[in-house]
Formats: sequence, structure tokens, C-alpha cells
Amino acid sequence: MSNTTVQVSLTLRDMLRADRLPTTWCPGCGLGIVMNAILQAVRHHGLLNDRCTMVSGIGCTGRMSGYVDMNTLHTTHGRAPAFATGIKLAQPDMTVITVMGDGDAMAIGGNHLVHAMRRNIGMLAVVVNNNVYGLTGGQSSPTTPLGGHSTTAATGSFERPMNLEALAAAAGAAFYARSTVHHTSSLVKCFEKGLAVDGFALVEVLSNCHTLYGRMNGTPEAADMMLPMDAATRRTTPILERRAARPVHVTRQGVTAGSALAHEARVRTDARVRRGVVWQRAGSRDLSHRLRETLDPAGGDGWR
Amino acid sequence: MEVITPGIYGIRVHVALCKSCGLCTAYCPQQVLAPDADGIPRTPGLDRCIGCKLCEWHCPDFAIEIVAPGSEFEDVATLLPDG
Repeated sequence: MSNTTVQVSLTLRDMLRADRLPTTWCPGCGLGIVMNAILQAVRHHGLLNDRCTMVSGIGCTGRMSGYVDMNTLHTTHGRAPAFATGIKLAQPDMTVITVMGDGDAMAIGGNHLVHAMRRNIGMLAVVVNNNVYGLTGGQSSPTTPLGGHSTTAATGSFERPMNLEALAAAAGAAFYARSTVHHTSSLVKCFEKGLAVDGFALVEVLSNCHTLYGRMNGTPEAADMMLPMDAATRRTTPILERRAARPVHVTRQGVTAGSALAHEARVRTDARVRRGVVWQRAGSRDLSHRLRETLDPAGGDGWR
Repeated sequence: MEVITPGIYGIRVHVALCKSCGLCTAYCPQQVLAPDADGIPRTPGLDRCIGCKLCEWHCPDFAIEIVAPGSEFEDVATLLPDG
């Protein structure tokens, strides 16, 4: 049995605080799927529970730290990256996983997220994007799409949603991946790759809030919101994109001028957001490791 | 190449954890699962199950589990507060 196929009873026994279950989330909420995927990725890397820390903010996503059997920290609203920065600087060998909702990460904690990315502090940051503030009753969040109905936008949102991908690239994150709760296998892979990054890895997960956002937008069932996620996103095609960026030209013998493309790279582009590893910055170094090496070049424990 | 044999898998539903959201039923490609009157998934088409684990991976509450033939597992009921 490979490491990624984990039996539920084993997950419950080893990695979850089973006495806290069932979760307080609504029936069909994608957060349980995200939690499952994070635990599978942690298990894939063979990380010990006491060498991992999960930091969460406030909101529905913030509840996740109560259910996983690791070192956990349930912090103030939006400040999860700040607390995680402190943990990582004190314990550079600790694996830090920060889980945030879209409002938590981009609105209330926007600056904390930006500066954690700027410092390139080594953590896996998971932003669960369900387009709405779920815990407080379905108010518009920074990612509510144009025209989406919410409690505070009864006639449809007229604000432009935030582009986390561009923000992460500008702020200097080392890794950006996006997946959805529909594509569970891809979700686990994104977390696995994010955990292996030396630096700040951001994984955006498109999730569902069918009880609030879905009910106001005509998809009141969890499956109604999840199944269309496949058509609403498109896969990244890294090999085709590399080919298109560096095309191979063929010059025919005897022909003095002109060349032909050896192949035609067919990179599909459309307005849909991409899922998979969107970009990864080469040569990234974790701030906490760089700082430790600066403070104690001998590599001992004296830097403390 | 691994040959998929339908019907050799078992499905365990942990009723104490299930919230009747219907995701497992919606995702099952073989129509193995069907909800009962309370919305708890039952397995009328167990002989068609191909062990794809879509139900297990999409269950937000860890309430459904595919049991491969010959695998040993422990009952989770003892972990839960109600016993």
C-alpha cells in the first residue's frame, strides 16, 4: 500500500483527535476534505506529529487546528502567518502549516500574509477560498466573484475580486499552487509539493460554502457546488508551457534562410483559473535557515 | 497493469460520523451507494464497487471507508466519545 492511500480508521487513530469528532462544519463542507488532504500529505512525507505545527486563524477554517493531532495554535483573526513566523524562527526544523480562510488571509490578515511571503519564511500556507465569510453569516469577502450574491451584496457583488496569484508573485512567495476540493488527488499532490519547498509555499484551495454562498446563488447542495469546479478551472500544462517558451527551430539542409518550428506548442489559454502548481521560484532559501546559519555558522545549538 | 475487479471491496460507513451530506453518493461512478431514509449511504450495488475511493476522499467527515480485500483495520467506534 502506498503512502497516499490512507485508510480512514488509521487517519482517525494516528492524526486526528477523534474524541473531538464529528466536526462542527456544515454537512458537505469542503474543509473536511482539505483537512484529510493535508494529513495525507504530512503522512506521505513521513513527518512526525510532534515535529509539525498547525497554525490557524479565525473563521470556519480556524477550527481545523482543533481536530488534528499535532502541535496546534488557534490564533487571532488574520494573524496566523505572524504566529507561524515566530514558531519557525524559534524552531527552524519544525514543519509549520498555516491554514486560513479567504477573508482571514486576504482581508483581515492581508499584511501579515504579504510580509510572511516577502520574508520567504518556510511554511506551507493553505488558503481555503470559499468566496464568502462563512462563520459570520455569508458576508462578501475579498474573493466574492463579480455578480455573486451574498448577505452584504443582495443585488450581486460589484467589487473586483482579489487576485491572490499575482499578489503572491509580487510579494515573493516561493511556490504557488491552486487546487479544488473536487480534485482531491491533485489537492494532496499540491500539499506534498508545498511541504517540500524551502521557503513560503502558498496553496489556494477553491472550496464550497453551499449553506450560505450556494444557497444565495442557486446551488444549495454541496455536490452542486463541487462538481462544476472541474469545468470552472483548467489544468496547468508545465511541459507544453516550457516548450512554448523555448521553441526548437529546425533548419533544413540546403535551405539558406528561414527555419521551421519543430513542433507547435499548443498551450490552451482561456479566462479560467489554473489548477496545479502555477509557479515555483527556483533557488528559494528559507529565512529561518538563513538566519540560523548567520547567527551560528558552526551549525551548533549556540544561536539560541 | 493492475486489473480492477469489481465487487471485491468492502465499504464501511461510520454512522456516528456521517452528516448525510450526500457527497459520496454524488461522486460514486458506479452507483454503488444510495441514501436511506436518514440520508446515510447504504451499499445496494456493492458488487459493482471498483475501489476508486472517490467516496472516501470526498467525505469531509471521515465517515466512509473502502476496505480492500485482505486488509486489516480496527473499528473506529471505540475512538469516538459515545463509544
